[in-house]
Amino acid sequence: MPRPKQAAIAGVYTTKQGKLPDRTSFSLQLEAIKGACDDAGIPVEEVDGIIPLSMSDHLPGTTATQFWAAQLGERPLGLMETGGASGALAKAALAIENGMCEVVVLFYGKAGSRVGPRGTAATDRAPRVPDWSFYQSGAYMTTWYALWAQRYMHEFGVTHADLAEVAVFTRHHATLNPDSIMGRKGEITVQDVLDSRPICEPLNLLDCSLDNDGGYAIVMTSAERARSARTKPVWVLGGAESTYTDFYTTINDPWFPEEGKAVRRAADRAFEISGIGRDEIDVAGLYDCFTITTIRDLEEMGFCKLGEGAEYVKEGHCRLGGSMPTNTDGGLLSNSHAGDPAGMHTIEVVRQLRGECGERQVPGARIGVSLQQGWAVHGMAGVLVMAAD
Amino acid sequence: MSYRKPLPQIEPANQTFWDGLAQGEFRVPRCTNCGHYNWVPFPACRSCLSEDQEWTAVSGEATVWSFSVVHRGPGAFDDDVPYAVVLAKLAEEPRGCIVIGNTVGIDPADLYIGMPLRIVYEAIEGEDVTVFRFAAADAAQPDDADAALSVENQPATVA
Repeated sequence: MPRPKQAAIAGVYTTKQGKLPDRTSFSLQLEAIKGACDDAGIPVEEVDGIIPLSMSDHLPGTTATQFWAAQLGERPLGLMETGGASGALAKAALAIENGMCEVVVLFYGKAGSRVGPRGTAATDRAPRVPDWSFYQSGAYMTTWYALWAQRYMHEFGVTHADLAEVAVFTRHHATLNPDSIMGRKGEITVQDVLDSRPICEPLNLLDCSLDNDGGYAIVMTSAERARSARTKPVWVLGGAESTYTDFYTTINDPWFPEEGKAVRRAADRAFEISGIGRDEIDVAGLYDCFTITTIRDLEEMGFCKLGEGAEYVKEGHCRLGGSMPTNTDGGLLSNSHAGDPAGMHTIEVVRQLRGECGERQVPGARIGVSLQQGWAVHGMAGVLVMAAD
Repeated sequence: MSYRKPLPQIEPANQTFWDGLAQGEFRVPRCTNCGHYNWVPFPACRSCLSEDQEWTAVSGEATVWSFSVVHRGPGAFDDDVPYAVVLAKLAEEPRGCIVIGNTVGIDPADLYIGMPLRIVYEAIEGEDVTVFRFAAADAAQPDDADAALSVENQPATVA
């Protein structure tokens, strides 16, 4: 039995995603905050909890929460949450339910910098980095996911063509999302992925997420306020978070234990807390920074067995019309990845549960789940289970 | 041209490790309580939480746990593409440490999971740092590997 509904997502907003040379990270964040509050019909002045996913460059030593508390008018806030989006939202719901705060906004925005290798300029002398930093080896996040993919393919007999299926279905969904960055480029095939230029083998360009600018925000509030909000509330049924390792240094053997790691723990807890079974999920938003990530998400979420993620995708479960429509906006691979897209999947699930998704709408979607992960391969994870009103 | 790739800041707590590389030793904190090796170094053992760890020189023998051939390099690394990044599992047990690094003298196309490796050392000219690389275990002995460091197929060095 689902537990009583006491907090809801009342507003969501995404700025334009893409190359935004005339914008600043700050202005994207502010636009997102205002936009999500407007979507909810709640004045910004009533926000009393914040989850800033971006850093602040306002003054050295000023945290993002301090900066935004001051920027929002020096009103004392009741919640200053950190961590990834789905997990932070799960905690925000508990904070709202327990009276710590009433209106929480999670937001992110980034313009003008790049996450991938082109964001690192060559210098005249050797730059100094922390002792165990992967930068000394010319590695970056894509490299780590490639190392993960290579080991996974080795242990489970999976091929690059199998991974590529993820990029194919995700692009298909993007073609149905007019706001996605890659949708207008049309469908791709497995062969297109295999023929795209290599970045970090075995991952090619089309195995990788985008690297663009953009912002977004999510407003959560109490049941009472949500009922009188401008839009239909999307109820938070429960959520959880987990982390197990540090920032891309090493991961001990075994890498793929049957019992799973952080994503599995967060998922098990989230489903248990929300009283929802995995077979009740109508739509899923699973963090897909690379094709391998989606395969592993599906396994760790418990939607299929260990080693069977690629087969699950090939069987069509993740496509619109399948048993687990996944990343219906085109995901990070084909919709947008603006640096920290941890909340983007939650926004798409909310839109699905509101029935706003047009051509890509999952008919009758009632219950959805979002997974955010990162800070190492599946290093930090958050899972949020939501339901339509 | 001088070496332009990232080098460690070297925290005082890790000085012994970097000193070890300069002496041709790869040192790993080993727990004197439970015997586990801890990589990357942590202030206490990740198995038993003992703070009693000893920097212990390992054999330098390792195998490829995973690898990636990189075609877009950050910063100065972009001059060297394609180059290999490997995760090498050190031979020492219990708990074989999985260490990230570059290769030397190995054609990236020849890499495979399980490939035997050994650690070799390279003093960076004009800097106070010696770094480590992974060479094929059956490659020529250290003197020859050192010579190989200057040849053009060595991806991790800017000539």
